[in-house]
Amino acid sequence: MADGIQQAASKALLREMGLDEANIERRKKIVGFEASDLPRIAAIRDLVTQHADDYVTTFFNHLSGLDDARPLIASRAIAERARQLKREHLVAMVQGEYGMKYVEQRIELGILYAKAGLDARVFLGAFHQLLKHIGSAVMKQLDRKPVDGFESFMSLKKIAFFDIGLIVDILVFERERTIRQQQESIRELSTPVLQIRERLLLLPIIGVIDTQRARLITESLLRSIRANRAKVVVMDITGVATIDSKVSNHLLQTVTAARLMGAHVIVTGLSAEVAQSLVALGIELSKLNTVGDLQGGLEDAERILGYRVLTAEAGAGPAPEGT
Amino acid sequence: MSAEVSVSIERDADIVTARHEGRQLAAAAGFSSADQTIIALAISEITRNIVSYAQCGKLTLSRMDEGGRRGILIVAQDDGPGIPDIDLAMRDGYSTAGSLGVGLPGARRVMDEFELVSAPGKGTTVTMKKWLR
Repeated sequence: MADGIQQAASKALLREMGLDEANIERRKKIVGFEASDLPRIAAIRDLVTQHADDYVTTFFNHLSGLDDARPLIASRAIAERARQLKREHLVAMVQGEYGMKYVEQRIELGILYAKAGLDARVFLGAFHQLLKHIGSAVMKQLDRKPVDGFESFMSLKKIAFFDIGLIVDILVFERERTIRQQQESIRELSTPVLQIRERLLLLPIIGVIDTQRARLITESLLRSIRANRAKVVVMDITGVATIDSKVSNHLLQTVTAARLMGAHVIVTGLSAEVAQSLVALGIELSKLNTVGDLQGGLEDAERILGYRVLTAEAGAGPAPEGT
Repeated sequence: MSAEVSVSIERDADIVTARHEGRQLAAAAGFSSADQTIIALAISEITRNIVSYAQCGKLTLSRMDEGGRRGILIVAQDDGPGIPDIDLAMRDGYSTAGSLGVGLPGARRVMDEFELVSAPGKGTTVTMKKWLR
């Protein structure tokens, strides 16, 4: 069951990272892997397979000596799974098949490293230890000429670098995923459209408006106008520090779109500096309906909608007599 | 005093950085809050042009002190496609990208000195100065 989930995760990542057959071939080319490497790797297949457990131990012993690798070693479940996958990796490394299936297995291990927060440099350190052990074992094979052993090892190293490329890419990709998700959620959070009264919406804009965000603001505003059957929208831009021609253009477009949906837009919160600089620069915003501050804007909006706000005293009518 | 700041301009986020640096340098040079906003805005317009038309370039900000006159020097440089007709590009309302077309002429209006050097295939350099009054 768990294996199925893991495999699905590997396959999904494979797609997200664009690791198709062509990409895998490109990666082999990058490390200089050729058909002539296959027999050289085959020559050390038995040696590596027989001692796979030793090499796995080398790899994890090195990691357990490092503080930086603690998350991977500390959890028994993760460490066990990583060991198992590492062993499969070593065996697969010398089988001569480096296609989609091979890459998929490497990805599963990469995801595990990423989850444990293993840094690329820590992984590289341990992987180098492992290669060093394989290398010295290969060179110690007495029945082969040293030059043959060296060539076999160098061919295997191409695969090792192919694997390193994959693992490092996964670690980076997964780290960036967090950043991408955070950016997404900031964007989501940053464009609330609030209903103040029946048919009156408030759109407070804070921070930097770029093209992407302007689109989101327009979208969520138009959606809310329809959902709330809004007639008036108060757009407050007190929190927008700089309004240049591009931002002005975005604002104008948002307002025009809202108008097409039948809503009247009042823009509030233009600071004195921004107003002055817009005029100096020659940016034409007279098409916008602006009101000094948010309070004024809301009052205007209420007037348009026919609301009259009274204090409790005035609204209560004449006080009862005799009290 | 290290009075020179350089910002590489490649994406929208760099424009924000450039604006911020410009505002800070202008404040340190003694410009009023309104002038800081104007300087930030001019920086915004010319760096926006780099992102829109040249993809990547560089903005250099420095303080000037020439015989008692003090001010701020802004140089925006790129190796982009260049501007074939500078007079047209400097005209209000002209844009090849469907924008408002006020960036360059607007920036020229708000600065004291403005120079644009460009030729097709040779990139564009905008040099702007604003003096402290």
